[in-house]
Amino acid sequence: MSKAGDWRNYKRVLLPPVKDLHKLDVYEAHEGYSALREILTTDKWDPTSVTDEVKKSGLKGRGGAGFPTGLKWSFMPPIDPDVPRFLCCNGDESEPGTFKDRQLLEYNPHSVFEGMLIASYAMGIKTGFLYIRGEFADWITHMEAELEKAYDKGYVGKNIMGSDFSCDIVIHKGAGAYICGEESSLMNSLEGKRAYPRIKPPFPAQKGVWGYPTTINNVETLACAPLIIRNGGEWYAGIGAQSHPGPVLYGISGHVNRPGVYEYPTGMLISDLIYEVAGGMRGGKKLKALVPGGSSTPVLRADMIDGVTMDADSLREAGSMMGTSGMLIMDEDTDMVSFLRRITHFYHHESCGQCTPCREGTGWLENIVTRIDEGEGNLRDLDLLMDLCSQMEGRTVCALADAAAWPVRYTIDRFRDEFEAKCKPSLVPSGADLVMA
Amino acid sequence: MADFIKHPVVGLPDRKPDPVIPADQLHFSDEEKKQIQTWISRYPTADGAVMRALWLAQEKFGFLPPEVVQLVADELNIPYANAYGVATFYTQYFKEKKGKYVLDVCTCFSCQLCGGFDMLHYLEEKLNVHKGETTEDGIFTVQEAECLGACGSAPMLQITNGTYVHNLTEEKIDALIDALREDRMPAFTSVTLPQDEDELGGNRRSDVEHTEAYQAGPVSETTR
Repeated sequence: MSKAGDWRNYKRVLLPPVKDLHKLDVYEAHEGYSALREILTTDKWDPTSVTDEVKKSGLKGRGGAGFPTGLKWSFMPPIDPDVPRFLCCNGDESEPGTFKDRQLLEYNPHSVFEGMLIASYAMGIKTGFLYIRGEFADWITHMEAELEKAYDKGYVGKNIMGSDFSCDIVIHKGAGAYICGEESSLMNSLEGKRAYPRIKPPFPAQKGVWGYPTTINNVETLACAPLIIRNGGEWYAGIGAQSHPGPVLYGISGHVNRPGVYEYPTGMLISDLIYEVAGGMRGGKKLKALVPGGSSTPVLRADMIDGVTMDADSLREAGSMMGTSGMLIMDEDTDMVSFLRRITHFYHHESCGQCTPCREGTGWLENIVTRIDEGEGNLRDLDLLMDLCSQMEGRTVCALADAAAWPVRYTIDRFRDEFEAKCKPSLVPSGADLVMA
Repeated sequence: MADFIKHPVVGLPDRKPDPVIPADQLHFSDEEKKQIQTWISRYPTADGAVMRALWLAQEKFGFLPPEVVQLVADELNIPYANAYGVATFYTQYFKEKKGKYVLDVCTCFSCQLCGGFDMLHYLEEKLNVHKGETTEDGIFTVQEAECLGACGSAPMLQITNGTYVHNLTEEKIDALIDALREDRMPAFTSVTLPQDEDELGGNRRSDVEHTEAYQAGPVSETTR
């Protein structure tokens, strides 16, 4: 059952159908910065009530982990005027299969700025860093131009809208490292160090960038904040799946007729997304598999998606995760072994090299999967891969090792016949061989 | 002697290589110095500006040999080792000289399944290089890239850490190479949302001339 209600008549809110919404005057004409104005110029709001409203909305992070945003904000220690504190907006969108934040940054940049300012107000922050991956050079230029306009209008900077709230926004340009999407690694990158993840605890709220309290949220998460303040937490909580509410940007790619970024509520049936939203399978082929939320989330077989909806609970039950909701759809001709080979290559390339299980493990994953893909593998290599995954999961500073191991574990688990077919035949007769004989 | 001693798996970098950039060119202009100071003022410590400063240096000198990294470190007044560590960590900082145009073809994930490798191989054959190599005339470097975040418009490529070219076809690559040989960079292309086509008639940005829609990718011939 779809949890998205009457999604065919859904009115978009993150990327509403407004021409030139990225321009400041158009954004203003469509209630832009009105949430911030209400917070700063009326007595209705104080920092606690803003955080409470976000808690009430049930907003969960859109960057992959799905942590409740309001709760994260409340982890910040009590304000001490002598201790600076920082906000980081994570726009290092590098998870393969994910391309939603780029569109949000391009088409609705001011909602991200407004969201950053609201979050900063709620947590008493005076500087927000917007970290955008270096590959998005054109979009960084675009964002910088729009930020300057917001500064000129007095929406960002000193004494915003005549209030005593001041907040600066700094756009930081990355330089191509998947690991920077991990929050502690992003902090090291901001500080001008090699982007090695840090051991947690201490968590960013206690000891973040430059050792000061820090909160890190995804671009799409922060863009939801103005909507929540404007329309109320209850309104937001009423959109889509109850346990994981809100509008979501679904990035659909792969073997479909109409790929792209679509805004719909959470809790959409996967089958609706493929066959109705994305126009069905390319060339009328049959669906074979799909990855629901970026390359780290476990792959689902076509027979596993009956009645599965795009929200954390339903996907967990089905054996996967929501991730970034960047969906890759694969048709019946897809070779799962070479598909996995390219994924393992990606993680090998992107491992930062800090922890041995990940640095060495990702390399061995790639080597062994490549061996199987080239037809040189043995059946026992599959068990070796599983063993290797167990040696990597949960044994490193950050979750990259887990993210590298899961696709291997679940792709082999769910498509074992294809892997076995590419391996060299076993010299020892299997049970099945004996029965058949 | 064992083979691995004669040929170590990991070669150690030359600690004092001969400078590539002539000493008289190795400096920032006053304007660039001012720009770097602006960046420094935005962070609690000068270290924060190192990535921006390295970007600036790379745009100026083309790549980041040790002497350029040293220049950046001196400008920011940070240890050389820190700047060198950053310069060697990130993929987009070029450690060696590249062609005038670096073509990063994405072959990761969605692009793999929608013809990314076909495009890479076509480009390799057309320019007569392998991935990672530069053409003899020094104009093009072809590279295989990890996910560039444009999965819906696969296959795609990026030109020298800048412009994206979406929905690649062989014809599009031919036209692109011809244009780049004449130093005509393709304009920024905005990729429209499918829902906008229904509600806004496609392009939602009146300030962008070039738009493209997300398209179903071609059938992959090769996936490696």
